[in-house]
Amino acid sequence: MASETKLSHTAAMILQAMQAGFIYGFSIMEMTGLPSGTVYPAMRRLERDGLIRSYWEKQSIADAEQRPPRKYYRLTAGGKETLEASRKRYPLLDRLIPTEEAHQV
Amino acid sequence: MRTPAGAFYRWIQTGILRGASLLTPESARGEWLREWQGELWHARRETETQGGTNEEAERSMIAFCLGAVKDAHCMRKLAAKDASSLVLFKGSATQCLVSLGAMLAASLLVARLLPGVNAALHPSQYRLEAGTVLIQNSQSEDDSRATVTGAMFEDWRARRQRYFDGLAFYRVARERVTEGGNRAGTWEVVHATPNLFGLLGQTMRPAIAENDEDFGIPKIILSETAWKRRFGGKESVLGTTVRVGNRAARVAGVLPLGRWRLPGSADAWLLDPDAEVGGIGFVVGHLTALGKAEMRSERVEISESNSDDDGSSLWAISLSERTRGPLGIYLFMVFLALLSLPAVTSVSLAEYSFSTHKPGWGRRVCRWSFLGAKIALLLTIGYFVPLDLAYAQTAGYSVAAENAQLFLSFVICLFGMRWVFLDQRQRCPVCLRRVTHPAQVGQVSRMFLAWNGTELMCASGHTLLHVPGLPTSWFETQRWLYLDTSWEFLFAGTNPS
Repeated sequence: MASETKLSHTAAMILQAMQAGFIYGFSIMEMTGLPSGTVYPAMRRLERDGLIRSYWEKQSIADAEQRPPRKYYRLTAGGKETLEASRKRYPLLDRLIPTEEAHQV
Repeated sequence: MRTPAGAFYRWIQTGILRGASLLTPESARGEWLREWQGELWHARRETETQGGTNEEAERSMIAFCLGAVKDAHCMRKLAAKDASSLVLFKGSATQCLVSLGAMLAASLLVARLLPGVNAALHPSQYRLEAGTVLIQNSQSEDDSRATVTGAMFEDWRARRQRYFDGLAFYRVARERVTEGGNRAGTWEVVHATPNLFGLLGQTMRPAIAENDEDFGIPKIILSETAWKRRFGGKESVLGTTVRVGNRAARVAGVLPLGRWRLPGSADAWLLDPDAEVGGIGFVVGHLTALGKAEMRSERVEISESNSDDDGSSLWAISLSERTRGPLGIYLFMVFLALLSLPAVTSVSLAEYSFSTHKPGWGRRVCRWSFLGAKIALLLTIGYFVPLDLAYAQTAGYSVAAENAQLFLSFVICLFGMRWVFLDQRQRCPVCLRRVTHPAQVGQVSRMFLAWNGTELMCASGHTLLHVPGLPTSWFETQRWLYLDTSWEFLFAGTNPS
């Protein structure tokens, strides 16, 4: 069961950041203060475990804004369950990254 | 304006990303590099908007790119783990069951697509009424050969019968048939007495038939194959007139595929009340209650005195075995294959020397369940694959297809069961993986001093399998040796459980 997966504090922070609306690697880095060498590998593992899912932004949107397309990440149903369980384990998670201050990037 | 130093930093950043990408698996490399280049672009823009010196910004970008090396390394490790899970899958019980399941699914799919198999699989559509028999001359062993003359049939029909309440005659002939548009072809035509289909029962009646008005000319029933091939499957052909030889006949119906199970293949059946019953053909009879009581086996000898009183002997052959479907043949072949199995392999699953490390009940139940699942899958494959092969070329029932099914069912069930037992004997009783790494142990010249043969090992470190090179009275069959926990350090990281 996904909710039974015990997450490290770092992984829980990344999930919390995604829940709060930070949906690509660099924004999660900025929000959590974690370095790129921690955030991206952690996201690979979370994706492998089926807690998050990645998808590419449409090329037409990126072309319109004259920038390269981004890869976005989204919590799966299992990821949401696991995050819920992790919040009980790490009660300060909500204070570190409050979801009510979420903003869609 | 980009300075030379700025260009140098960007060259380093791109170089780090490209170098790190070499660590990632080739299949994911393009997407990985695209993501990191995109992220770098956005990170750079973010840093530029925040201000600060160029030097600091570029250094932070290099630090950002160095994270890509860790990420690439992580990707590599995850891919290696996936590959090792594939290695664990290879040779496992799951792989065996998945392979058998895939084979079964493929055979089911083919069976669904082949019209011949579909026709064979639905015996209720062609099951004849109980008490329907074929009357054959006892001098002929082959019941697919016509042996009864029309004169004999006429003689029987004219006399009162105790054992039969109906008799029908048919013979097969190649005839030139001219269709409405003056297209002509040579067909296999069954010339039959009009009561033939009535005698055979409801299931043998044409599926597409017009009303039974008598237009004064003989009726002809088309086979589904001839109807589709010659008339494009059009229902408008019903009621039209075709010429069979020199005689006109009205198309009265179509007999669906696979329903005709009597000897002789046919493109059409000409039901002619006025036709002289000539030549040699087949007689079909329907037994009375008294006749059914006398029919104690599938083939019963009957004595019939004809007008010449030569006392010729006849067989009444029950047609029920022709219409019981392929399941009866298959079950008989499974029975024969199981009887023959000890001749091709030992049915023992080997000896055990587990001592105190005997596997628990759960493991033993798993092992027997696995064996049961393999046998069940194999026997199901042994039903459908012969049907697929036998009926691949024929669109309906044929004696050749039935014989092919008979032979293939036996071969697949016999050698399939042999494989099941051989495979089971090579699987670790604890984890059900196939044992590997065969090693020759001992010497034949010293076989009275120590055992010689092949030693195989469970890759997860549960057991060793000793197979004697030359069976002796003290080492006749293979033996399993359970490895205790002191061996575990040798197999660290390989145990999937």
